[in-house]
Amino acid sequence: MVTERRPARLRHGLVGLLGLAALYGLAAQIGSGRLPTTVYLAPHEIEGVELLPTYSSLAEEATFLVQAGILQSGVAVSTLRVLIGLLLGSMVGIALGLAMGWAAGLEYVLEPWVVLLRFTPALALLPLYVLWFGLGEMSKVGLIATGVAVVTLQGAYQGVRGIPRVYWDSAASLGAPRRLLVRRIILPAALPQILASLRIAIGLAWVTVVVAELIKPTMPSLGYLLALAGAYPRVPTIMIALAAIGLLVLISDGLTLVAYRWATRWVRRRHE
Amino acid sequence: MSKSQPRKVRLHVEDVSYSYPGGTRTRALDGLTLDVHDNEFLAIVGPVGCGKTTFLRIVAGFLEPTRGAVLCDDAAVRAPGADRGYVFQEEAIFPWMTVQDNLEFGLRAKGVARAERAAIAMELIRLIGLQGYERAYPRDLSAGMSKMVEVARVLATDPSILIMDEPFGSLDAQTRAQMQDELHRLWEKRLKTVVLVTHDVEEAIHLADRVVVFSPRPGRVKAVVPVHLPRPRSLEMRLSPEFSALKRRIWAELGLT
Repeated sequence: MVTERRPARLRHGLVGLLGLAALYGLAAQIGSGRLPTTVYLAPHEIEGVELLPTYSSLAEEATFLVQAGILQSGVAVSTLRVLIGLLLGSMVGIALGLAMGWAAGLEYVLEPWVVLLRFTPALALLPLYVLWFGLGEMSKVGLIATGVAVVTLQGAYQGVRGIPRVYWDSAASLGAPRRLLVRRIILPAALPQILASLRIAIGLAWVTVVVAELIKPTMPSLGYLLALAGAYPRVPTIMIALAAIGLLVLISDGLTLVAYRWATRWVRRRHE
Repeated sequence: MSKSQPRKVRLHVEDVSYSYPGGTRTRALDGLTLDVHDNEFLAIVGPVGCGKTTFLRIVAGFLEPTRGAVLCDDAAVRAPGADRGYVFQEEAIFPWMTVQDNLEFGLRAKGVARAERAAIAMELIRLIGLQGYERAYPRDLSAGMSKMVEVARVLATDPSILIMDEPFGSLDAQTRAQMQDELHRLWEKRLKTVVLVTHDVEEAIHLADRVVVFSPRPGRVKAVVPVHLPRPRSLEMRLSPEFSALKRRIWAELGLT
């Protein structure tokens, strides 16, 4: 079943993606020469703006961004920030979530924090983090890590709480020491939920990095490239940066999905 | 077992009472005293809600009795432990582990080396006739097969007693009869002290040396019925007049006739 569904999913996904690209190309062709080229951005009138850039101007822009090294270095730097934020955030989040699910007392101590942080957007923490951690990498990565930690904490917590009592009892009556309980019961049983939350966290991390990169904007960075292109304004640059981020999100989501499938290989599916 | 001399007491239950915590403090068990001997197969039957499962959970160490004591091999039971293997009512083998990893879990807990673990697991797999399923996940097993894996997983660590709580309760009648037969064969090959709780009187007679009848809540020992049917026993034997007589007697104790 699973092996049959996967290529179909990929195929249909590609059809959707290419369909979107084709529609965009068509709209851009029709729009070129018809759409207004003057934009009023208070207090200036800016001329020569291509609101819906055609593929040829996108290709031109992409070539420039790649030849200048702006795109690659931006992708590298932003990806690194996302990865470090993910690593730190999920380490803290998963550890706390597992502990919360395991030790009943801790659950109630941490619960208000989880509720509080869950509804605090990363952007709201930004001024605070800048004051606490300065304008450097620390506040950027910290912002990503915070969002990731809150999401993965909930995943790990729910993963542990969802383990049926009979498995805890079985492990106890088979004499499992703590180490074995964590490694062979709690972790594998909670892993599907943890990875499901990680999938959400990765999306969130990419959203957050774009915002975080507005802290003391310096150049190799996709977030600042976007902001800069918006200020000029250069729509082709915006489109290329958006496409780059979109592609990175798709790739990281795909990788997590593969991990999720591996972690749920034992789950009994209905109608199988 | 009608074999030999006075046998060693494996499990000694002394005046055990249990009341559920909380406002009503419902009494589940009241002054229960019971001995189970080495290699004896003891079955417990009783009306719904008479505290059978509570009794097993106390013996396993999941619950602490309100009064009284449980001794397993002369040691007081205070917590769950591998000396008392527990076969649960629901499906209890770990779905994220292969059959072999499930069988090896208790051995891992004891710190048994890899090669020895594998050897024991293989022997048990042969014993329950699941060759070829070593690397299968429980999702690929039928409910009956899962139960046998669970029984084997408990046997792997060679516990002093085997506690079984309605192990075949969720199976259909045909599979259940098959499993009872299978369990009986297994028990003949691997003599063990067993305490089995069941609502199925025929299952109790088929398997047990003695059938203990619990009274309605709070649970007490109402009667102890020895079963002197010859072993090995078969499903065929359930049609014999001796079997029917025992059934009638237990039904009477349960207040069914």
